[in-house]
Amino acid sequence: MNSSSLLTPSSSSSPHLQSPATFDHDDFLHQIFSSTPWPSSVLDDAPPPTSDCAAVTGFHHHDADSRNQITMIPLSHNVTNDALFHGFSSGSLPFHLPQGSGSQTQTQSQATASTTTGGTTAQPQTKPKVRARRGQATDPHSIAERLRRERIAERMKSLQELVPNGNKTDKASMLDEIIDYVKFLQLQVKVLSMSRLGGAASVSSQISEDAGGSHENTSSSGEAKMTEHQVAKLMEEDMGSAMQYLQGKGLCLMPISLATTISTATCPSRNPFVKDTGVPLSPNLSTTTVANGNGSSLVTVKDAPSVSKP
Amino acid sequence: MASADKLINTDVPEKDVFALHFLQSLSNLKTQNPLNSPAKSIDRVRKIKKAAYVSMARAAGGTSRLWSRALLRRAAKDDNKSVRFSRRKRKVTWKISSKRRKSNNQRAPVVEEAAERLRNLVPGGGGMETSKLMEETAHYIKCLSMQVKVMQCLVDGLSQK
Repeated sequence: MNSSSLLTPSSSSSPHLQSPATFDHDDFLHQIFSSTPWPSSVLDDAPPPTSDCAAVTGFHHHDADSRNQITMIPLSHNVTNDALFHGFSSGSLPFHLPQGSGSQTQTQSQATASTTTGGTTAQPQTKPKVRARRGQATDPHSIAERLRRERIAERMKSLQELVPNGNKTDKASMLDEIIDYVKFLQLQVKVLSMSRLGGAASVSSQISEDAGGSHENTSSSGEAKMTEHQVAKLMEEDMGSAMQYLQGKGLCLMPISLATTISTATCPSRNPFVKDTGVPLSPNLSTTTVANGNGSSLVTVKDAPSVSKP
Repeated sequence: MASADKLINTDVPEKDVFALHFLQSLSNLKTQNPLNSPAKSIDRVRKIKKAAYVSMARAAGGTSRLWSRALLRRAAKDDNKSVRFSRRKRKVTWKISSKRRKSNNQRAPVVEEAAERLRNLVPGGGGMETSKLMEETAHYIKCLSMQVKVMQCLVDGLSQK
């Protein structure tokens, strides 16, 4: 590696520009920094050599970087960019650099180090070297920051596979999806634990009372009447508590019109006062009507939660 | 991404482990509390929910994951019990020292505000770095979905009677 020779760019002044047909990367760098077309005006300015050395030292640092990218453009100094460009144009360098579109290339090189190096090294197979992006060259903080971002991106990808509907490319919407999915799962657990209550009640009543089929029916219908009275009492006091009580039982309230619409849609002939579990569409749906004191009737619908994942 | 999963271990046990833990906790509940009056059904719901989460945390790896540890600690605090944590050598990685990080303003604010919301959702998320948080979230999601499956199967099985 000719890195040591790069440290003294202006020392050797022999132009090697036109020499080898096949030069490798190090020679190329050597040529750039040691060629005479490097205008003397540049050398007169104090900053260019230092920025030059900075670029070179940056280069050194990024030897160790795992990125393996290339740069040798001095960081942000206009004059040196001018100098480089003029240096390139005046000598016939064996790589393609559009000399007509001078300022364009220059701004390109200023804008993105990546495209500049891509333009200046026309070789298809350059040895992968370490490289820094513009403005963040040698800062270990930014390297660490970049590594951190990569880790986060990796994890987000694995999360993407877990979450359904994870085909969003946008990071922000993907994160929103993840958050919503976690909320949804937690809600599912909550709902299922509510319904577990109903299941547990029926199971325990069955076990404890030596249940036959009829016994179970009478107990459940008795429970229904008790529920109705309880709900009616609660509704007189506070609708909120009534709703909560019903929720604890796995029931919900809805206007009769809606319930009748649903029931007639699913099963044409029904006695609304009998608990019906044979509804084709939703086998766990059963309704009870409760007459409210206000004169409006409400229907409670019992539904085993069908919050299944799509 | 296969390579990412090799670095991070997000395996969860099979459904049976979750089911076993959950059923055990349910039977414990039943022996502790015989059938209450309907007015206290909300408390029963809460107990069941809590039992679900605790059994999930135990099934998922006990105190070996950050979120399960925080969950168990929170549950034990409510019951005024104490949780026994096995002493483990914490692998100290250089990422954990976040003091120097705070000065670096280059964190994507989009990611960070989403991470804040996630921290509120995932138990134990308050003290985690964003990358660690996402790892824990992945494991948490897997465990939650497993728990939901188990509970759904139980409900379906019971409601067919």
